[in-house]
Amino acid sequence: MESLNCKLLEVCSRCGACYHICPSCLNLDEGYDPRAVIKDILAGQYETWLSHKSIWQCLECHHCLEICFQHYGFENAMAAMRTLASKKGLATTQVKRGWDMFIKTSRLGELAAPARKKLGLPEAAKSGAEDFKKMVKVYQESKQSECKSVRVKQGD
Amino acid sequence: MKNFTVFWGCTIQNRFPFLEKSTRMVLDGFDLPYRDVDGFTCCPEKSLVNNIDHGLWVLTAARNIAVLDKSGVDLVSPCTGCVSNLATVNGELHVNHREKDKVNSILNQIGLEFKGKNKLRHLVPFFHDEVGIPAVKNKIVKPFHGMRIALHYGCHMIRPSHALKNDDPLDPKKFDNLIRAMGAESIQYMTKLMCCGQGLDRVDQHENALHFARLKLKELKSLKVDAMALCCPSCYLQFDNNQFLMEKEGEKFGIPILYFTELLGLAMGYKPEDLGLDSHRIEATEFLEKWERMNRELSRTTELNKQLEEGFGIAQL
Ligand code: SF4
Ligand code: SF4
Repeated sequence: MESLNCKLLEVCSRCGACYHICPSCLNLDEGYDPRAVIKDILAGQYETWLSHKSIWQCLECHHCLEICFQHYGFENAMAAMRTLASKKGLATTQVKRGWDMFIKTSRLGELAAPARKKLGLPEAAKSGAEDFKKMVKVYQESKQSECKSVRVKQGD
Repeated sequence: MKNFTVFWGCTIQNRFPFLEKSTRMVLDGFDLPYRDVDGFTCCPEKSLVNNIDHGLWVLTAARNIAVLDKSGVDLVSPCTGCVSNLATVNGELHVNHREKDKVNSILNQIGLEFKGKNKLRHLVPFFHDEVGIPAVKNKIVKPFHGMRIALHYGCHMIRPSHALKNDDPLDPKKFDNLIRAMGAESIQYMTKLMCCGQGLDRVDQHENALHFARLKLKELKSLKVDAMALCCPSCYLQFDNNQFLMEKEGEKFGIPILYFTELLGLAMGYKPEDLGLDSHRIEATEFLEKWERMNRELSRTTELNKQLEEGFGIAQL
């Protein structure tokens, strides 16, 4: 998730135009209210939302982004909450499972080999799993050294 | 036409290999220049990976695009999510050079470089823009005349539009045009552009996912459509599998869910079982029977019309 823009969020907290197009706002009976989350983010009181199921109800359908005159959208705030929730171990069970599978195998699910054979499909192309693993390692190392240099700067 | 590869994505190859089958049959039927390319991974799924680690989301998509750069072909995918994710990152890296350099400093260490030189397209806009409606019409041997089909575009076929740039994000036309080219009527309905809601099934909110599936299926049932057509494995999962689960609990909709390539394949004269239609949870039997009937009626009226046009005035006996 990229960082949030408080100026755009502030306008958002007063606008609400996309309530009329957001499928979750329109259809979820228990109430999905992104502006309540945004107001709490701006007030610095978002903590309770991190364990709330509401933040996982954004469908990332990008409807709000398309109609927003700021080209911003509710979805940014909800994605930020989900990222924070994940960092604090509050992601839902399926999200955790999906992430583990992705990191370990570079895919979300195994190839359905027997069914492929039955259908007469050709052998599937080789996956990039090995390269992916190497890439993740380099990425993690680069993140660690970035963190260290931030800490050194702060220590200065 | 430039050579291209098909990016199958995880869901099709993991759960619905018959969708790969119909896609290959249709591509072969049109004699299109595609080949498989080694080295892809998950696109990766935005709602999962980006929510947890934006950097890794960008990097993984960039690596897939770099694999494409290396092989020098375009990309076409029968999954809306894959294209939307890859195109979003592609767009982001084209405008953000600092991020692109950072990505490439990592990719270089595994022998790759992101350039983003090749086209990334979903199968539906690809058929509409590259193959073209006249060529599609040419291949139709058994049209869907008289069939009432409701389209579900799937959010990520058209949005975010700044990255995909392939249709109007709030009033798309291309899929409609293709369905009409196959002879079917594209039914317009209130919830046509609404998200399928499958994402809720991936965050432990199954009842809410069913609620979304129900909204659309209920409307389509009241409109007496013959089938729903779509071209995204997640949407397919939502409307075929979840419809089946609801039917098991006694809620009957009876709306067969057909993939774009299955419809096109049928219209091109391929057999339903060869296209993998027997792997669907919701049977398409009634749809196929009506279609046969409509085609029989069509050939009878065509014959009659020919007779109507023949000769002149009253025959002299
Ligand atoms: S992206 Fe999320 S917040 Fe925006 S309209 Fe869709 S469901 Fe609503
Ligand atoms: S996302 Fe844009 S349209 Fe929606 S409430 Fe915020 S400012 Fe208004």
